Amino acid sequence: MPELTEEQRKQLEEKIKKMSPEELKEFQKQQCIFCQIISGKVPSKKVYDDDKCIAVLDIAPASKGHLLIMPKEHYAIMPQIPDKEIGHLFLVSKYLSQVLLKVLKVSGTNVFVANGAVAGQRAQHFMLHLIPRKEGDKLIEVEDKLIDAGLRAKVKELVEKRLKALLGVKEEKQATLPKGEQKASEETFADVPEEEPAETKEEEPESEEEIAEEEPEEVEERPAKTKKASKKSSPKSSSSKKPKPKDEPESIGDASLDDIADLFK
Amino acid sequence: MKCEYCDILDRKSTADILYEDNDIVIAIKDFSIAPGQITVFPKQHFTIMEMVPDDILQKCFTLANKVSVAIFESMGAHGTNIIVQNGLGAGQKVPHFAVEIIPRREGDGLNLQWAPKELSEDEKETSYLLIKEEGDKLVDIGKKKEKKEVSQIVTEKISGLSGKDNYLLKSLKRIP
Repeated sequence: MPELTEEQRKQLEEKIKKMSPEELKEFQKQQCIFCQIISGKVPSKKVYDDDKCIAVLDIAPASKGHLLIMPKEHYAIMPQIPDKEIGHLFLVSKYLSQVLLKVLKVSGTNVFVANGAVAGQRAQHFMLHLIPRKEGDKLIEVEDKLIDAGLRAKVKELVEKRLKALLGVKEEKQATLPKGEQKASEETFADVPEEEPAETKEEEPESEEEIAEEEPEEVEERPAKTKKASKKSSPKSSSSKKPKPKDEPESIGDASLDDIADLFK
Repeated sequence: MKCEYCDILDRKSTADILYEDNDIVIAIKDFSIAPGQITVFPKQHFTIMEMVPDDILQKCFTLANKVSVAIFESMGAHGTNIIVQNGLGAGQKVPHFAVEIIPRREGDGLNLQWAPKELSEDEKETSYLLIKEEGDKLVDIGKKKEKKEVSQIVTEKISGLSGKDNYLLKSLKRIP
């Protein structure tokens, strides 16, 4: 892309400022190299293509067979993507991971997503990396450390309320529970301060609005689903009972994987 | 068999559970790559991603996205990494599939970035052809899923998953 003069740059900035959100999205799309890869204007080594996403070989790979899986729709960041599409993208990553394990004879894969520049996000188009790994390749070296209990408690305090609001877990649900069950849920969240319910209620409508803007389809569905699910799981006995997937043929992707699972019993 | 994540579920661990439903658990483990890390995993014990049923897998990642948003908004993080260590070669330590969400901040000292690898044209081309051949067979997962045929099709299309020379089996056996 040619360098812009100072004046051109200013004009461009002005133009961008005046754009409607739709125009801005269209503009970003035109500027996005990955959208051009998707449309085929820029050549790539495409290994998978469906109506929602494509997978291509990374041009600067961490290892042989490093894939980028990206939605065809232009999303700059992950929170913009509807749940359904997130599900689809990662489902494709599961199947492609299986392909990589098979054809490259590797002993593992990393699914890697970077949200934000500080996390290593370089492109303004959401994508997930699928990286074939072999033992001792030292591609991504991470080590687990013991996290101080006080620090963990603080993390919990910070994130729990927001997370529950995002997941549509309603506090009122706890209040309507029979006494025995209420006790169980109190045990689980023993650290939550008492004024919690009131505060969460204040926050909830706001968060639902936010979600509603981004994913109108999912909002109605999710809180109801989550509520139902957590109600069922409230009694302690459910934790010892392994939940059975409803749809058997769909649930286990591969009959032969059943055999593999049996080895661990 | 002892599994760290099943222990979390059975309340035999010091990890904090943030959320739990019929299928999924969201927890803060005591051993993590970085402070503030949150783990999403299915309740049922699946060793690797390939074994997780489609609907559970999709739920894991949609919840991981929500966790990521919650981390952004509540911890003042500048970014997040979402990572799956799938298989021994990928650094998987616990034989139970999990998605890790790691809060990132400027100057946090974490290095999760890889160095690009120089590959010969030959290597690039062979891996491309190999993967593309299998990728093409995957057909349109989205469309097939609606017809609930996906597992059948994938079973048919991806051959060589059973038998003695099963690569998955070999790598799985080695996970402690």
